[in-house]
Amino acid sequence: MNPAIQYFKNIWDAIYTVSFGMIITLKYWVKEPPITIEYPDRLKKGPLILSGNSLEEIVSDRFRGYLTVDFSTCIGCLQCMITCPIDIIAIETEKRDDVRFITRFDINQSKCMYCGLCVEVCPTDAIVHSKRFEGACYDIKELCIRHVETAVPVAKRPSKGEAESA
Amino acid sequence: MHNLASIIQSILKELFGSSPSLDLLYTFLGYLVPCLTVVTVIGMIGGILTLMERKVAGAIQNRLGPNRVGPYGSLQWIADAIKLHLKEDIIPALADKNLFRLAPYIVFVGTVLTGLVIPFGGSFIVVDLNVGLIFLIVAVSLVVIGLLMSGWASNNKWALLGGIRSAAQIVSYEIPSALALLTVILITGSFSMQKIVAEQGLFPWQWFIFYNPFTFIAFFIFGIASLAELNRVPFDFPEAESELVSGYNVEYSSMRFGFFFAAEFGNIFVTASIATAVFLGGGNIGLDPYESGIGYQLLMVLVFFAKAIPLCFVSLWVRWTLPRLRIDQMMSMCWKYLIPISFVCLTCTALWMLVFNGNGIFWRMSG
Repeated sequence: MNPAIQYFKNIWDAIYTVSFGMIITLKYWVKEPPITIEYPDRLKKGPLILSGNSLEEIVSDRFRGYLTVDFSTCIGCLQCMITCPIDIIAIETEKRDDVRFITRFDINQSKCMYCGLCVEVCPTDAIVHSKRFEGACYDIKELCIRHVETAVPVAKRPSKGEAESA
Repeated sequence: MHNLASIIQSILKELFGSSPSLDLLYTFLGYLVPCLTVVTVIGMIGGILTLMERKVAGAIQNRLGPNRVGPYGSLQWIADAIKLHLKEDIIPALADKNLFRLAPYIVFVGTVLTGLVIPFGGSFIVVDLNVGLIFLIVAVSLVVIGLLMSGWASNNKWALLGGIRSAAQIVSYEIPSALALLTVILITGSFSMQKIVAEQGLFPWQWFIFYNPFTFIAFFIFGIASLAELNRVPFDFPEAESELVSGYNVEYSSMRFGFFFAAEFGNIFVTASIATAVFLGGGNIGLDPYESGIGYQLLMVLVFFAKAIPLCFVSLWVRWTLPRLRIDQMMSMCWKYLIPISFVCLTCTALWMLVFNGNGIFWRMSG
């Protein structure tokens, strides 16, 4: 290209590209809101705070938080206890009048490595990761969570057809 | 009565009477008070600009920026300054100690000296020198001595490279910036800042930026060249983090570093106010700056800041848009593009004055 033309083309390129870039940043500056979640300042704590996110909203859908057990579906098969690689789940069952009761279901959350094997192995999806993650406490023993206070009867084992359809 | 100092002197004379020894004191006070005010104003605005820089950066990058100290982080800059004061002041063992101590003050003085001739609107100017604009250009380039001094005295390879780069850069970009300002001098025929402001008016078509197409280009050349003189992105070679760690101020800590920092951000405001006063009409609202009442004078100050502060924001906006140039690109941009164009602007403005009898494009509208 003719050097003289190239010279003016360079000037035009500089003006065009710089203004193009500056318009983009101006859009981000003026229009786009910040995506920062101000944890824990702007959490929904009650009806008074209208803006802000609740704890469930700020974590992603497949978040692996504390383990919880749904005793309406738990059949007491002990598979989670067996599969846990570091043995943090302790379950005791007891038979009273032909009905099995779960008398102990402890999960030592301080040791849990959130591998999710117990969740995968559970046949009835009774043990799942919740979205709770705020676990700071003064005594590590508080993190050994008892899920059963008084003995609960195990749920009915689902029939084979039900399990497959579910 | 052509500056704030003489006004203060006359007020003092009315209050306490006049005698040769008292007059000396009045002269001293008359200059001391506005000088201190200017130092404070530039320091404060520099501090607030550090906060705004971080806020703007946050907004552009969809972050929040500082929001811990005070409402919306508005007191962050005070906390930063206090932190800098409380830090340990380290001088490297092998540094040239006297030069090392002197350098930050020279940089800061270079910034503050420019504040003396900035017309803040109305009679609010410390001293209306008849060589005001030349003084500005000289005082801005005093910074380069301080930067080179700090780079040499630190006895550090990065600092020395940063100092050399800043010298090369600031000396080169001095030329287009001065030539761009000189186009306006051709129109006014005076270097006095108050005269330059007085020649313009309240409305945009009376400003020198719209006087003719060449002053319009000169305004942008001054903007680019002053960004380079400020050592700001995209021309921040003296402190290029990725290459030189922090450049000339790498060995500095505590308030000595703080002075570099304050000078850098104070300079943003200073160049914005030069551009405002020279090209954008300054604080001119179409009234005489000395004869009108105090209310109008404060309105002029307001108008001045309403023009200068957005220009500061443009400087921050550019920083978060453009990446750093390569050093040869920076030099070729100055010597191949900015200097020839600013010479063209200067000559064409001179020809314009000759051909159109000293009238601008909008001379019919402005009467």
